Amino acid sequence: MRISRKWFNQFMDVQDLSIEEMAKRITDAGFEVEGIEHLSQGTNLVIGHVETCTEHPDSDHLHCTTVNVGNEVVNIVCGAPNVAAGQNVIVALPGAVLPGGEIKNGVIRGVESNGMICSLLELGVDPASLDDDQKSGIEVLPADAPVGNTDPLGYLGLDDEVLDIGLTPNRNDCLAAFNMAKEAGAILNREVKLPKYEGASDVGTPSNLHVESTTSKCPLFYGKVINHLTIKESPKWMKELLAASGVKSINNIVDISNIVMLETGQPMHFYDAKSLPSQSIVVADGFDEEYTALDGVTYKLQPEDIVITNQGKPIGIAGVMGGDDSKILDTTDSIIIECAIFDHVAIRNTARRLNLSTEASVRYQKGIEPLASKKALDRAVQLLIEYADATGIEETVQYGQVPYEPKSISCTLEAINNRLGTDFNLDEVVDVFTRLDFEPEVTHDLITCHIPSSRTDMEGMADLSEEVIRMLGYDRLPSTLPVMPMTEGKLTYKQQLTRQARQFLCAQGLQDCLTYTLVSTEKKDNAIFNNDEAIELASPMSEERRYIRTSILPSLLDVVSYNRARNIKDINVFELSDVAGVSGAKMHLAIAMSGNLQQTRWTSDVTPSDFYTLKGLVEAFFEQIGIAAQRISFVENDMDTTHFHPYRSAKIMLGKDCIGLLGDIHPQYGKNIVMAELDFDALINVKKSKIKFTPVSKYPSVSRDLAFVLDRTMPVQKVVDTINKQGRLNKEMIIRDVEVFDVYEGEHVSKDEKSVALSITFQSDSHTLKDDEINQVFEAILEHIQKDCNATLRS
Amino acid sequence: MKTIEELLQEATQKIQDVKDSSSLNDLRILYLGKKGPVQELMKGMKDLSKEEKPIFGQKVNQLKQDLSKMIEEKKEQLAALEMQKKIESEKIDITLPGRKPELGNAHPLNLVRQELEDLFIGLGYQVIEGDDIVDDEYCFERANIPKDHPARDMQDSLYIDPNRLLRTHTTAIQMVVLEESAPNLPIKVVCPGKVYRRDDDDATHSHQFMQMEGLVIGEKVTLADLKGTLEFMAKKLFGQDRQIRFRPSYFPFTEPSVEVDVSCHICNGKGCPTCKGTGWIEILGAGEVHPNVLKMAGYDPEKCSGFAFGVGIERVAMLKYGIDDIRHFYTNDKRFNSTFKRYE
Repeated sequence: MRISRKWFNQFMDVQDLSIEEMAKRITDAGFEVEGIEHLSQGTNLVIGHVETCTEHPDSDHLHCTTVNVGNEVVNIVCGAPNVAAGQNVIVALPGAVLPGGEIKNGVIRGVESNGMICSLLELGVDPASLDDDQKSGIEVLPADAPVGNTDPLGYLGLDDEVLDIGLTPNRNDCLAAFNMAKEAGAILNREVKLPKYEGASDVGTPSNLHVESTTSKCPLFYGKVINHLTIKESPKWMKELLAASGVKSINNIVDISNIVMLETGQPMHFYDAKSLPSQSIVVADGFDEEYTALDGVTYKLQPEDIVITNQGKPIGIAGVMGGDDSKILDTTDSIIIECAIFDHVAIRNTARRLNLSTEASVRYQKGIEPLASKKALDRAVQLLIEYADATGIEETVQYGQVPYEPKSISCTLEAINNRLGTDFNLDEVVDVFTRLDFEPEVTHDLITCHIPSSRTDMEGMADLSEEVIRMLGYDRLPSTLPVMPMTEGKLTYKQQLTRQARQFLCAQGLQDCLTYTLVSTEKKDNAIFNNDEAIELASPMSEERRYIRTSILPSLLDVVSYNRARNIKDINVFELSDVAGVSGAKMHLAIAMSGNLQQTRWTSDVTPSDFYTLKGLVEAFFEQIGIAAQRISFVENDMDTTHFHPYRSAKIMLGKDCIGLLGDIHPQYGKNIVMAELDFDALINVKKSKIKFTPVSKYPSVSRDLAFVLDRTMPVQKVVDTINKQGRLNKEMIIRDVEVFDVYEGEHVSKDEKSVALSITFQSDSHTLKDDEINQVFEAILEHIQKDCNATLRS
Repeated sequence: MKTIEELLQEATQKIQDVKDSSSLNDLRILYLGKKGPVQELMKGMKDLSKEEKPIFGQKVNQLKQDLSKMIEEKKEQLAALEMQKKIESEKIDITLPGRKPELGNAHPLNLVRQELEDLFIGLGYQVIEGDDIVDDEYCFERANIPKDHPARDMQDSLYIDPNRLLRTHTTAIQMVVLEESAPNLPIKVVCPGKVYRRDDDDATHSHQFMQMEGLVIGEKVTLADLKGTLEFMAKKLFGQDRQIRFRPSYFPFTEPSVEVDVSCHICNGKGCPTCKGTGWIEILGAGEVHPNVLKMAGYDPEKCSGFAFGVGIERVAMLKYGIDDIRHFYTNDKRFNSTFKRYE
């Protein structure tokens, strides 16, 4: 909302306040002043008369002038192409401060120059409001301009300052200058006097005009015929206010419709009465045709657009723009006034689709207070009589009603103080409501406020409390902490486990990442460890952001590529995030690794980012969170051999459930990356083993090593399982550990075989194991691995 | 045959001169061995008189003891020397780099999120999350945002179907918490999560970002309590010298609504480019929960009240660490992500 100091001055006395002071106080009360604009700037100016103008002897474009500035005649060298003797002009005298700098006495190419003849551009006037001549040359004032007048900006009406006020969506009532003025008066504690216009439209002769609506999207329509009026230039005050609001002045009739809209917030449309074929106006929708609006552009109407029609043909797009055929012309001498309410959602959709944001459509979209239409009609008739010689006024014709019930809100002082945590007294609170025009009544401890029709945002006590604190100032709000029963601050188990996983992986050297939830079709199609159908957005913002991801890895692989492209070799990253598909959301853990995880090169210590490193990480994490190793197994990956190397990847099994995939990337899909994607929710929901102390055995342990050759494809896990199966001595499990300490494939064994060496640790809780006891178990082990695993012992 | 004195003198000299423990051992065998001079002297005792025998025997024993002692002492001396030599030879270059484990760290947004969570857990808050996909009703209707509000237009938010969308604010979690808690008091929760808006990504906008909603409902929880709580948070996040101020604002789900500024931590409120010369930085929006919101969730607004606030995690991280572009958070450049090793 743009409102100028001059406009404020029409309604209240703010002479004693600087524009900055006004801006600060208005901002502090919830109306953020986003900018202060001076329509023009300049000191030490005077209106001068150019007495002589000759060409500069030493220049092809400068002129030497003598200018009468009232009390003296000064020499000024001027570069403007349009300067001429006999003109009245604006002169900046030495010492003048203009937006471009200070004016000083000087000598220009040998000629004395004691001032500057100014263009409006040089005085800081917005170029958008100037024509080309004004922009390229000095401003030429009318012949009757008062020479010697030291306030040329005031003479031109350019001595105004405009506040650009940002409105929160609940206070769109202040898009109406009358309401903004009342609000500012309340904030600045000034008495506000609005013009008297109520009832101005209530008179008129009988009318043949007929208005109606065939759509529910127009609940109210006022029509009024004015049979005689005079088109002329608008009065200066009107032109100035329009300029300050950024609206172009056209003629008195069009300007009145705009000024009334700016004052009351209610858009109006004036039709040239003679150009309408009939005196019947019907609001309708359901049109599907092309239509030329008054901006000369042809728009394509759609059935949901609200259209104003005459004899079945569109004469305006309701609330957005009128038609070309019926617009006000210089020859117009009678008009039909339209002042109506339209559905704001329909207006929004139409304005958006046609890419037409007009002062009217913006106001309709933001909502118009219920009584604004009548106020606007009254004000328009009053102004048309005063400034357009309106006569032959017919009575108002009305379709529909706008429901309005006067509203009162009651509450106690205590309730307000309790909500705010303040200690305000009754007098100051009542004063706030009085300033806001709420006409407060106090009975016992109850304050009753009568809410003006424009304040549709006021619903109850909470709203009253906000009015109190914003008017009395937030600097008076104390700072306390809530007093209430003790509560336990805590994380859920899932949150704890998520933090534990993050901490664990970070401690192992992996980087935590966050990537976008929305992915492209390509990433959606490359989901890893997913059996859900991806959700597509109804209207995605771009192809890159079309689907909600069901898998994190495709995004993490991008992270690997991004970093590789920047010459970073060791990339070990993970992400813990929700994924979602049609059957619901769950948390996934994804890991991607490339290069080395840990390394100290000069000592040749390296933990490569490979299958076994990643497998070990996963195993260690399961152990840390209490999932017993026996419940976890890694089995052949028959689920996804597109993204994973079929012979270097595994399904991660928790009992019988596959909870993730792990392995090398398929060489056709990527290079030198090992990756995993796990269902983290499965880890949260699984039962964990209880931590329970068992006494450490007092008896010594014994280790035996054995080495054997077996088929290359035989899983070592099978050998380990076979060994463990033979581990009992008199029902006690005496094998405490089976450690693989060497695996060899190469020239010393045949091509289809591998050599494996294991170390088995025996121990009993009840006695020191004797050699023959160990031998007994060891023999059984040897027998079974030869039989069950086809292993050949190496001596 | 040498006298005892001569032997002692000679052996003393030799023991003194010996350079290593094996030569010392040779000397021990030479003098104290079965064929050594001491043994010889003992053998010669049989030719002595009854009176001379004990005296001579004593002297030889004394000699034997002296020599043994001397050899023992020398042995220890040599051992110490040899140990010294050995460890000297084992000297390493302590300036070579250690086997320093590569350490990962939490993503800066997760770091700030955890810091905020921990701060509020310390005040007795629970941490509640929710799904990114929410019912339109909880995102808007329950937050007092009417059906015809522009944010509810399919073009303005990321809808999946007419009833479901990616949440536009963590207020959506708040609405679920309220409904599930009603009519129990008090509620003290923070709700962190990802949120989504139809914005083109640039230095200051991201179609995806993180928020944390705070919600406290009790019998008489006031706007002043909100101020105290946020002051505590601002001091924890940006330093003990920080102050906050409220400016009136509007959100459909709070009344009164405020924008909250914190005094600039860069210039201490004097004015600098970070705070655009104002001395204040806007960090969040907040307010007293709107009575309609409480009513819809099943609470009686006459009997309870409370506050809510919503912090942008990116905003806090950017201010705290001086990050100039929101896209850094989602690019995951190793050099960027690895900067944030700890709470500060």
